[in-house]
Amino acid sequence: MTASTLARLAVAGNRTDMLRTVLTAVSALLATIAMLCAATVLSITGWAGRYAAALLVEPGLRPGVAATLVLVSLPVLALAGQCIRLGAPARDRRLAAIRLAGATPGEAVLIATAETAVASLLGSVAGLVAYLVARAAIGDQRTLPTDVLPPAPVIVLLVVLVPVLAAAVGALLMRRVIVTPLGVVRRVRKRGPRPWPGLLIAAGLALFALPFQEHLKIHIPAPRNAALAVLGGGVLLTMAGVVLGVGWISHTAGRLLRRYGRGPATLLAGQRLITDPWNGSRTMAALLAAVTAGSVALAYRALLATNFRYYDLDNQVMGYSNGEGTGPAADPSFYFNAIRLVMVAVGLSAAVAAAGLLIALVESVVARRRAYASLTAAGVPRRTLSAAILWQTLTPLVPALVLALAAGDALVRLTQTDFDLGHSYRECVSENDPEAHCRTLAELHLPSVLHVPVPWGDLGLLGAGALLAALVAVGAGVLVLRSSTDLEELRVG
Amino acid sequence: MSALLSGTGLVRNYGATPALRGIDLEVAAGEIVAVTGPSGCGKSTLLHCLAGILRVDGGTVTYRDQDIGLWSEAARSRLRRTEFGVLFQFGQLVPELTAVENVALPLLLAGTGRREARQTALDWLGRLGVAESAEQRPGTMSGGQQQRCATARALVTEPRVLFADEPTGALDVLTGEQVLGQIVRVAREQGTAVVLVTHESSVAAYADREVALRDGVVDPTGLGLAR
Ligand SMILES: Nc1ncnc2c1ncn2[C@@H]1O[C@H](COP(=O)(O)OP(=O)(O)OP(=O)(O)O)[C@@H](O)[C@H]1O
Ligand SMILES: [Mg+2]
Repeated sequence: MTASTLARLAVAGNRTDMLRTVLTAVSALLATIAMLCAATVLSITGWAGRYAAALLVEPGLRPGVAATLVLVSLPVLALAGQCIRLGAPARDRRLAAIRLAGATPGEAVLIATAETAVASLLGSVAGLVAYLVARAAIGDQRTLPTDVLPPAPVIVLLVVLVPVLAAAVGALLMRRVIVTPLGVVRRVRKRGPRPWPGLLIAAGLALFALPFQEHLKIHIPAPRNAALAVLGGGVLLTMAGVVLGVGWISHTAGRLLRRYGRGPATLLAGQRLITDPWNGSRTMAALLAAVTAGSVALAYRALLATNFRYYDLDNQVMGYSNGEGTGPAADPSFYFNAIRLVMVAVGLSAAVAAAGLLIALVESVVARRRAYASLTAAGVPRRTLSAAILWQTLTPLVPALVLALAAGDALVRLTQTDFDLGHSYRECVSENDPEAHCRTLAELHLPSVLHVPVPWGDLGLLGAGALLAALVAVGAGVLVLRSSTDLEELRVG
Repeated sequence: MSALLSGTGLVRNYGATPALRGIDLEVAAGEIVAVTGPSGCGKSTLLHCLAGILRVDGGTVTYRDQDIGLWSEAARSRLRRTEFGVLFQFGQLVPELTAVENVALPLLLAGTGRREARQTALDWLGRLGVAESAEQRPGTMSGGQQQRCATARALVTEPRVLFADEPTGALDVLTGEQVLGQIVRVAREQGTAVVLVTHESSVAAYADREVALRDGVVDPTGLGLAR
C-alpha cells in the first residue's frame, strides 16, 4: 500500500468521521498550546523580577505553574481519546469492506491509526503556529513571558508528542479489535476487572509519605525539583489508580444493581455495566482526574490555613506583631491565590470532562439506537430507558468520586496532620533563678496541638459540582435518546 | 487434470452449532460451479472457507496445490487482492469511496500506481456498463448499479476464482438476470472459475455443474434444486 492510498483511505469518511477528525485535531491543538506554555514557563531561569506576576518571578513556584498548565491539557487529551470511538460502527463497516477487498489485518490497523495520527499532527502544528503568532502579537513582556522560548528540540518534541501519543493510544485500542472481512469483532475479556488499580493508589500514597516521614529516616538529598517530581508522580499514580479502578467499581456496581435492583431500569443498567465495565474508565477519566487534583489542592489549602494559624498563634503568644516573628515568606493571600489558580484549572478541566462525558453518552446512545428503538417498540417506556442511563452513569460515578476525593485528601494528609504549639510560653527575668522570676506570658487556652481539618465542606462542594456536571451531561444524553427511540429508526439503514 | 481449488473434509462450527460437517468439493480452472441448498444449510460458510475468509475447524482447502489453511491471515488477504474475487449480496463496497475508487481499491492495496489503477477501474466499470456511475458513491446508486460496480471490483484484478454469494439476491428478477448474465459472460471471457452460491434454480442454470448442500453436507441424492 502506497502512502497516498493510505492517506486516501484514512481520510475517507462520513460526517461523524469528519466530526471525530476535527475534535481530535482541536484537542491536539489545545494540548500542544498548553504544553508549549508550560515549557515556556520552565524555560525562565533564576529570579525573574522583570515579570508582573509573582507566579513567574519565583523559581520555586514556576514548576507549579507549569504542572497546572499540563494538568489542563490532560482532560483535553482524554477528550481526544474518547473521540476515537465516535462513529465507530460506520468505521467498522468501512474497515471490514476494505479487508474484504484484500487489505491485511495490519493494513486495516494502519488505516485506522493513520487518521488519528494525521488529525492530531495537523492539530499540534496548528497549535505551534497559534503559539508563535500569539507570542509575536502580544509583545508585552511583563505579564506574559514572551521574551523566552523553549529550546528548539523541546518544541519539536512537544509538537510530535501529541500525535505519537494519540496514534499509540489508537493502536492500543485496536489491539482488542479484530477486523475481519465479514465485520469487526471486539475481543471481550471473560473475567471481570479486578481491584488491582488500588495498588496504584497505594503506590501514589507511599510516594507522598516517603520524603516527609521522619521515622523512615529517608532523606532525599536532591534539590526541590526531585521532591516535586516525586510528589507529582504520587498524584499521577493516584489519578491513574482512581481512573482504572472505575472498571472494577462499575463491574461490582453492576452486579449489585442486578442482584438488589428492582424494576427494568436497574436491570438494564446493571447488565450494561457488567458487559462493558471499562466504559466508565474511558468516559469519566478526565472528570475523576480533575476531582483528584482538586481534592489535593483543597487539602493543601486546609494545610496551609492551619500552618498560617499556627504562625499567628505562635507570634501572638510570643508578643510579636506587625510581621515580626515567624511566618511564610510571602503574604498568605499570595499562596491562596496560587491555589485558586489551580482550582480554576480544575474547574476548566471538569467542564471539558463533562463535555467529553456528553459526547460519549450521545455516541453510545446513537450506536445502540436500534436496540433502544426496538425496546421502545416492544413496549418499554422511554422513562425506563432514561432511568437506565442515569443509573448506569451514576452508580459507578458516585463511589468513584468519593474515592477520588478521599485519595486526594489522603495524599496531603500524609505529609502533615498537626502543628505542635508547645505547652507554655513564659518569660523569665533572671537567668540564675528561673523559677522565681518567671511570669506566664500567655495562658494557653488554645489547643496545644493544631490539627489540620479535613475540608469536608469544600470537598463536598467539589464532589457535588462534578456530580452536577455529570447530571447535565446525562440530561442532554437523554434528550438524544428521545429522538433515537423514534420507531422510524427501525426503518432506516 | 488436478483441480484449481479443492476442499476436502471441510468442517466448520459456530460455537456448538455445526455449519459444515465434512464437505468435499473441487473446482477446475474456468469452471462455473453452483452451490445450492435451503437456507441455513451452510452455503455461505462453505464459500467463506474456500475463499480463505474463514478458517476451517477440520479438513483442508487447497489452492494450486497449496494448503491455504496453513497461511497467515495477511497471506490469505493478499490472495483476495490478486487471485480471488469476492462478490456478496450487498455490503462489500466501501460506502465512503466513489465507485471508481472502490473498483481501484484492490489494485491500490496491491501497490499499483494511482493513475493506472484508476484507468483500469474505469475500463472495468465500462465493461459492466456502469461507466456513468464512476464518481457516485454506493449510497446514491441503484441496487443493480451497485452489484455491477461490485462485480467490476471483484474482477478488476483478473482473479482465477470468483466467489459469488447470492450476487443478485437483492435485485428484482429482470435486473438480477441481466447482472448475472454479465458476471458469467465476463468470467468466461477471462477464464475465471466461479463458485456461485444461490437458492434460485434460474441462477443455478448458468453454471456448468451444481453441488447441492443439506445440513452441512453434500446432498447424496445430488438432485439439488428442482429444475
Ligand atoms: N456468525 C455466525 N454465528 C453463529 N452461527 C452462524 C453464523 N453464521 C452462520 N451460522 C449458522 O451456520 C449455519 C449455516 O449458515 P450459512 O450462513 O452458511 O447458511 P446459508 O446456506 O448461507 O443460508 P442462507 O441461504 O440463508 O444464506 C446456520 O445454521 C447458521 O445459523
Ligand atoms: Mg448465505
